[in-house]
Amino acid sequence: MLSTLKRRVGEVLLPGDEFSYDGDDTISLTEPVRPEKVLCGPGLRRSGDRLLVCKSGVLRHKQPNVFWMDCQQKRYVHAKGETVIGIVTVKSGDVFKVDFGGSEQASLSYLAFEGATKRNRPNVQVGDLVFAQFIVANKDMEPELACIGSSGRANGMGVFGGGGLLFRVSLGLVRRLLSPHSEVRSDLEQLFPCELVIGMNGRLWVRSSSVHQTLVIANLLQSCESMTPLQRRELFTRVQQGAL
Amino acid sequence: MAVMEARCSSSVMLREFACEQNFLSQPDGSASFVHGDTSVYAGVYGPAEVKVSKEIYDRATLEVLIQPKVGLPGVRERSQEQCVRETCEASLLLSLHPRSSLTLILQVLHDDGSLLSCLLNAACMSLMDAGLPMSCLFCGVTCAIDADGQIITDPTAAQEKESRALMTFAIDSKKHNVLMTSTKGSFSVNELQQCIAVSQKASEKLFQFYRDSVRRRYSKTL
Amino acid sequence: MKDTPLSNCERDFLLKAIQEKKRLDGRQTYDYRKIKITFGTDYGSCFVDLGKTRVMGQVSCELVAPKENRPNEGIMFFNIELSPMASPAFEQGRQSELSVKLNRQLERCLRNSKCIDTESLCVVSGEKVWKIRVDVHLLNHDGNLMDAASIAAISALCHFRRPDVSIQGDEVTVYSQEERDPIPLSIYHMPISVSFSFFQQGTYLLVDPCEREERVMDGLLMIAMNKHREICSIQSSGGIMLLKDQVMRCSKIASVKVSEITELIGKALENDKKARKAGGRCGFAESIPLERITALKMDETPMEMMDVTERANDIVQKAEVPPQMVQSPVVPVPGVGQVGQGLQNTWGLEEEEDEEEEDENEGSDNSAEEQEGRVSPMEEEKYEKEERDGGDVVEISDSEEEEVVILHPEKPDKAPKNTESSLHQKASNKKRQ
Repeated sequence: MLSTLKRRVGEVLLPGDEFSYDGDDTISLTEPVRPEKVLCGPGLRRSGDRLLVCKSGVLRHKQPNVFWMDCQQKRYVHAKGETVIGIVTVKSGDVFKVDFGGSEQASLSYLAFEGATKRNRPNVQVGDLVFAQFIVANKDMEPELACIGSSGRANGMGVFGGGGLLFRVSLGLVRRLLSPHSEVRSDLEQLFPCELVIGMNGRLWVRSSSVHQTLVIANLLQSCESMTPLQRRELFTRVQQGAL
Repeated sequence: MAVMEARCSSSVMLREFACEQNFLSQPDGSASFVHGDTSVYAGVYGPAEVKVSKEIYDRATLEVLIQPKVGLPGVRERSQEQCVRETCEASLLLSLHPRSSLTLILQVLHDDGSLLSCLLNAACMSLMDAGLPMSCLFCGVTCAIDADGQIITDPTAAQEKESRALMTFAIDSKKHNVLMTSTKGSFSVNELQQCIAVSQKASEKLFQFYRDSVRRRYSKTL
Repeated sequence: MKDTPLSNCERDFLLKAIQEKKRLDGRQTYDYRKIKITFGTDYGSCFVDLGKTRVMGQVSCELVAPKENRPNEGIMFFNIELSPMASPAFEQGRQSELSVKLNRQLERCLRNSKCIDTESLCVVSGEKVWKIRVDVHLLNHDGNLMDAASIAAISALCHFRRPDVSIQGDEVTVYSQEERDPIPLSIYHMPISVSFSFFQQGTYLLVDPCEREERVMDGLLMIAMNKHREICSIQSSGGIMLLKDQVMRCSKIASVKVSEITELIGKALENDKKARKAGGRCGFAESIPLERITALKMDETPMEMMDVTERANDIVQKAEVPPQMVQSPVVPVPGVGQVGQGLQNTWGLEEEEDEEEEDENEGSDNSAEEQEGRVSPMEEEKYEKEERDGGDVVEISDSEEEEVVILHPEKPDKAPKNTESSLHQKASNKKRQ
């Protein structure tokens, strides 16, 4: 199975495609047999002794044996540990309700901010943006967010958003932006100095020195969605030379 | 039988079909599907918040709405909705998103025969576009049997009108099994089997088309 | 389903941008987004794209009796459908405030402006007139639905052809499209709505607001006008005070926009006419932008059919002949109705045991068997067993059978057991029903 999976990395697969365990993987008699373990990410599911693709997209691989489907969907499905941009919708008692674009609203305790105590409540208004991390994300339970890490530090999380623009892109683009050596990000860095907050839920927030530049960056990022790297670089150089 | 076969092969054609994905900004997934002149838009929202009255504790609630071109949805649309919903439920992995709602809206733009199969194909493309977990894909194929007993696949409205029997099958992509049938008129067991076999053949073309369009869509991010 | 809430940061940014005369998509204050008009295969169907907003207009007609107070006039009916496809905030089948507002505005724009000659729609005075129905479906909501809807409605009306009719004595004959060329409606002028949104109590003004701009605006002014610069309707909502010269300025802008849009509709109609005359394919199927990577088209494909008939025959032959079903209903005791022959009824009668061993299962299996065609006898037996264990009997009229239980009070040792089992069965039956 591992060899077929590896062979098909980078291919476009559709729901219903299967990988079955085939016994023809050679087993060495001299070395001890190590059971092959495959870690399935989103879009791949185990059913019996088969591996089932359940989302359309491109099969990706990470060392050693992690596989997942890269898919350009728009709707976010929450997962533990991911950081998102949420909008506070309700303030009720001890918790805030936060809309993060998923299937239900997440709760955010007012104590889950850096330096917050029962006396010293954080200043959060309805409609504010929060950058927060999922500490409970389970399909059967209400999702819960926190603006502090396990050490009690904010690590850049919390309420933010003055003077910037919030907009939506596809989840695929967000993942591309967040990947360790993102080309889009490095291309963008050469353009304007700007502040960028990326939520895994497809929300981006950007702020730069002027309204004009902020709008240019937002529109550029939105159009990155459907461009090859070459087209993107061409566009970025055009912008750099002052086309906009 | 040989004569019949010769006749069959002349009339078994699929009209040209086309599809566009992700063309609406609001829905989470959208697709337009065209069979000849029959065209349908599909939009999917979900998994999203569900009304308490419709909540199911261990799986997602799937709602299918079909909007006719003229007037308000009636009995015909309701029965089509049911056909599409049951097919989608069979292929979607609804238990992965409990207590959430999936809404599939289908807008009929033009009906020139084989409407139900076009609805099914648009539905499948839009569900795939929305990135919802599915165990397999499905497609719809309509067959008509005319007065001479000839099988016509993907009939136009005029051919539908003249036909003696009309059958629509939803076929899955894994084993090409029949997920749903909707029939009208009278036909023999033999004819039914022939139509199923024809539809299974036709479904291969459609699934290849699905694959090509998704591949084309991801061509820039490979 | 709820719409995504608007954050404070978006609101502040948008207002700041408007003050600096900047818009989200890089437009100028008075710019419209790109308008695209396409026609469907039928007469009277039209799609309008206004940026990302997309609507469809569809005109249809039927012969009806006229209104009593206007026996010589045809009837116009308008309906804007807020399809949930357009926005998650729209709900199916519920009249929202927005839908009432849009419908009313479209009626005032097109019906009350008398842009269509309704008298020409009369067939027999006082008896038969044409009812023209305009359905506007909103497919994607990115702001300024009204302008898009009004363009779609009027273009669809211009494109529409009604069937020709002839009257001989009392008989009215309606000719199909093949028999006689259909007739276009007579349209005097084309009113088009132009929307202006106001910010900061009317200090700033934008033409053609997009969805996010609509969410932060203070007020909205809709002016419907035709190319002769006649105002057909004007509506201000949102409760802001507008100055006289501001309204004048808006009407001037509207007149420019209306003449541009009218010209565009004219061109689109002409293109469509040419395409139809040339006999080429026209309509929606041809309008899919194939240059996009999200779109794909496949030409007409013949299918290989050689082995299909054989395979079908094979399956049919392999399928076993369905066993004969018992035709007449069996009545074990008075008061018990049973359809089909199946498992033993345990509802109160213990004496009769396994009298008839014919299976209802087989009957019900037949259909499945025919489809599958490959159910082996072994499997079939298994089914039988399973069903016997599970007690899968679907019976009609449970209430009567419950009475049967009560009729045997002389066996107290067994009766409770029976009721229990019968209750159990009833529950399982209910589940199945």
